[in-house]
Amino acid sequence: MAQSSSNGQDKSSNTYEALNKIGRGAYGTVYKARDKQTGQEVALKKVCIPLSEDGIPMNTLREIALLKQLNAYDHPNIVKLLDICHGQQIGKDLMMFLVFEHVEQDLAMYIEKHTKGFKTTEIRNLSKQIVHGVDFLHSNRIVHRDLKPQNLLVTSDGHIKLADFGLAKTYDFEMKLTSVVVTLWYRSPEILLGLPYSTAVDIWSIGCIIVELFTRKPLFCGKSENEQLNEILRVLGKPPKDEWPAKNAPIKWSSFDINEKVDIKSIAPSMCENVLSLVMNMLTFDPNKRITALEALNHEYFLEEPINT
Amino acid sequence: MPGWYFDKQELKHTPSGAAGLDYKTEMRYRKEGARFIIDTGMKMDLGYNTTATGVVYYHRFYMFHSFQQFPRFVTACCCLFLAGKVEETPKKCKDIIKIAKALLADNKFATFGSDPKEEVMTLERVLLQTIKFDLQVEHPYLYLLRYAKCLKGDKAKLQKMVQMAWTFVNDSLCTTLSLQWQPEIIAVALMYLAGKLSKFEVVDWVGRNPAHLRWWDMFVEDVTMDLLEDICHQVLDLYSQPEVKSSSESPPPGASRPAAASPSNQSTSRQSNGATTSTTASSASTASSTSEKTQISPETVPPPVNTRIPPPSDVPYPYQTFTHAPPPISYGTPVSFAPPVNTPPPLLGPSPIPSLLSAPPPNAFPPFVNQPPPFTPVVPPPNASFFGNGLPQGHTRHRPPFFPP
Repeated sequence: MAQSSSNGQDKSSNTYEALNKIGRGAYGTVYKARDKQTGQEVALKKVCIPLSEDGIPMNTLREIALLKQLNAYDHPNIVKLLDICHGQQIGKDLMMFLVFEHVEQDLAMYIEKHTKGFKTTEIRNLSKQIVHGVDFLHSNRIVHRDLKPQNLLVTSDGHIKLADFGLAKTYDFEMKLTSVVVTLWYRSPEILLGLPYSTAVDIWSIGCIIVELFTRKPLFCGKSENEQLNEILRVLGKPPKDEWPAKNAPIKWSSFDINEKVDIKSIAPSMCENVLSLVMNMLTFDPNKRITALEALNHEYFLEEPINT
Repeated sequence: MPGWYFDKQELKHTPSGAAGLDYKTEMRYRKEGARFIIDTGMKMDLGYNTTATGVVYYHRFYMFHSFQQFPRFVTACCCLFLAGKVEETPKKCKDIIKIAKALLADNKFATFGSDPKEEVMTLERVLLQTIKFDLQVEHPYLYLLRYAKCLKGDKAKLQKMVQMAWTFVNDSLCTTLSLQWQPEIIAVALMYLAGKLSKFEVVDWVGRNPAHLRWWDMFVEDVTMDLLEDICHQVLDLYSQPEVKSSSESPPPGASRPAAASPSNQSTSRQSNGATTSTTASSASTASSTSEKTQISPETVPPPVNTRIPPPSDVPYPYQTFTHAPPPISYGTPVSFAPPVNTPPPLLGPSPIPSLLSAPPPNAFPPFVNQPPPFTPVVPPPNASFFGNGLPQGHTRHRPPFFPP
C-alpha cells in the first residue's frame, strides 16, 4: 500500500525539529523540540513499542487511549499531551513520540534556585497542587510510580504540572540500552522490597517531596535499595513486626538493627503541626494505612487559614 | 472530544468529494462500511460498544482520506480490528478477514489485495494517526440508559420506548450523526423520536426543577426542537430509501413513507430466519414528526437497516441484541451525572423486567453481546505497571474527575 507510507510513517521528523536531549526522567529519552509550523517548543518523549503479530499491542493502545482521555480534562496540574505520532519501525519495534507541552523548569531546579528557602504558604500551595495532580491520576487509576522533583514541572507563573507518567516504563527505549541510575530517594518501602504496590507509592513520594520543600535537600538518600530502606527506617523507626510483610519480603525484619527513630521535626524545624501530621500520614510504612490523595486534600493542613501557617 | 464534529457544509466537502465522488455515493459508502462493520462485529460476537467504536473510527477516517484512495472494506476491517483492541475485546486480524471474505462479494474482497492481513495491518498506523489517537469514543447507548432511568411513567411503555430508541441508535451509526453531534444529544433526539412513535409521553422525571421545560433540559443545553427533528430525520431517512440489492421478498413499504403503521406493528413483523427486511424501520418512518423532506435518489442503495434474525428462543432475557434489546433499566438507583471514565454502567441493580418482555422483543436478533454491557473496567495489564494493582482502601473508585470536561 504505497499511499500509506506517506501517511503512516515518520510524521515526527516532518513536524518536529529536535533541539536537544533533555533527558528528564531517568527512564526515557526526552527531547526538547520545536514544532516546525508553529515554532512552539515541545517536549518529545520517545517510546519504543514492540509490535506483536497483531500490530500495536492492546495494552499500549489502552494506555494511549487513557492518556488522550485524561488530556481532554485539561487538568491544571497535569502536563498537556499535544500530539502523538509514530516514527520509524525498526525491526519488530515501532518508535512512537509523545509530544508534551514544554515547561522549562522542574521542581528540582526550582528548589535549587530558592537558596533562601520557601515561604510556608508557598510550600503549602505547591504541595496542594502536587496532591491535586496525583489525586487526578489516581481517580483515573493511574499510578505515577516515579514521582520526584525532576518530574514535577513548575511553570513560569508557579504552577505545578506532573509529567512523565503513562505508557508503562517497560516500553521505554533507553532503558533497554543504558543502565541509567534511577533515583531511589522517593521510593516507598513496598517498592524497595519488591512487593506489589499501588497508588500508595505516589503518596510516599509526595511525603518525601514535601519535607524536601522545607529542608531543600532530599529526605532519604540511599545509593542502593538496601541502603535506601535503611535510611528510611533509621529516620522513621522500624515498623511493628506485624506490619512487616512476613512472607514476601526478601529482607527480614530482624535484619535491620534500628532502635530509635529520628523526629522529622528535628530535620525540618520550620514544619508546623499540621504539615507534620500530613507528612507522617504519607510516610506510613504500611501502604494500606497510608493516607490517600483524596484524604490528603481534606487534611487540616490544606484547610487551615493561610494566616496560621 | 472537541475537534471531531463537523457541520453539514464540512460533511459535503470531504476528501472523497474533492477527489470527485458525489455526495450520495459517499453517503452510501459510509452506510455500507458501517453496516459491514456491524455485521462483522455481530458475527464475531463483539459487543455493541466495540462495533460502534469501530464505526465512529470509520466515519472519522473518511473526513481526512478519500474512498478512492482507501478501499472502504479494508478500512472497515481495520477500524473493527482497532476498536476490538481498544475496547478490550480483541479479535485476530486474520479472523476478521475470514469473516470479511465470507460476507463480501468476490469483487469487493478483491480490494484487499494479495495479502489481506498485511493490507489491514499496514493501515492500522494510518488509521491511528488519522484519528489522532483519540481512541476512546463514547456512544449514545450509555446516555440512553442513564436518561431512561430518570423518566417516570408506565414501565412497560418506557421499556418499549428505550428499546426502540436503542434500535435507532444502532441505525444511526449508518449515518454521519456521530460526526455532527455529541452522543448525549443523539441519545436525547432518538429517545424523543422513540417516545413519539411508541406514544410514551414523558410527563415527569426524577430531578425535575422548574427551569426544566422538557426532560432533556436536565441533561443537555440549548437543544432546540429543530435540532431534534433534524437528527430524527437523518435516521428516518435511512429507512425511506429503496431496497435495491436485497433479494428480500417484501420490499419495505416505507420507501415512500407510509402513513399508517403504528410502532406496535413491529411486533408482528418478525421475519423468519435470515430474512433481511426493514419492516421495523419502515414502520418507524411514520413518525408523526416526519414531514416531507429529503428526496431519496433511486440509485441509492438501501440502508442496511439493522433488522435481523430473531433471537434463539433459548436465550434468556436480558439478552442484548444489537438492534433491539437494551440492557434492562434498573429503577431506583441513584443516577450519576458525571460521566465516569471507564467505569461500568451503574445499571445492573435489581432489574425488573417489564412484562412486555415475556415474549422476545419485536424483531430481535441474535444475542449481539454477552450481557452485561461491556463497559470494561480498565484492567491492569500484567506487565504495564503504570496502572496500579488496585486502589488503596477508602479511595473512591468512580469519583468524577477533578474537572469535568
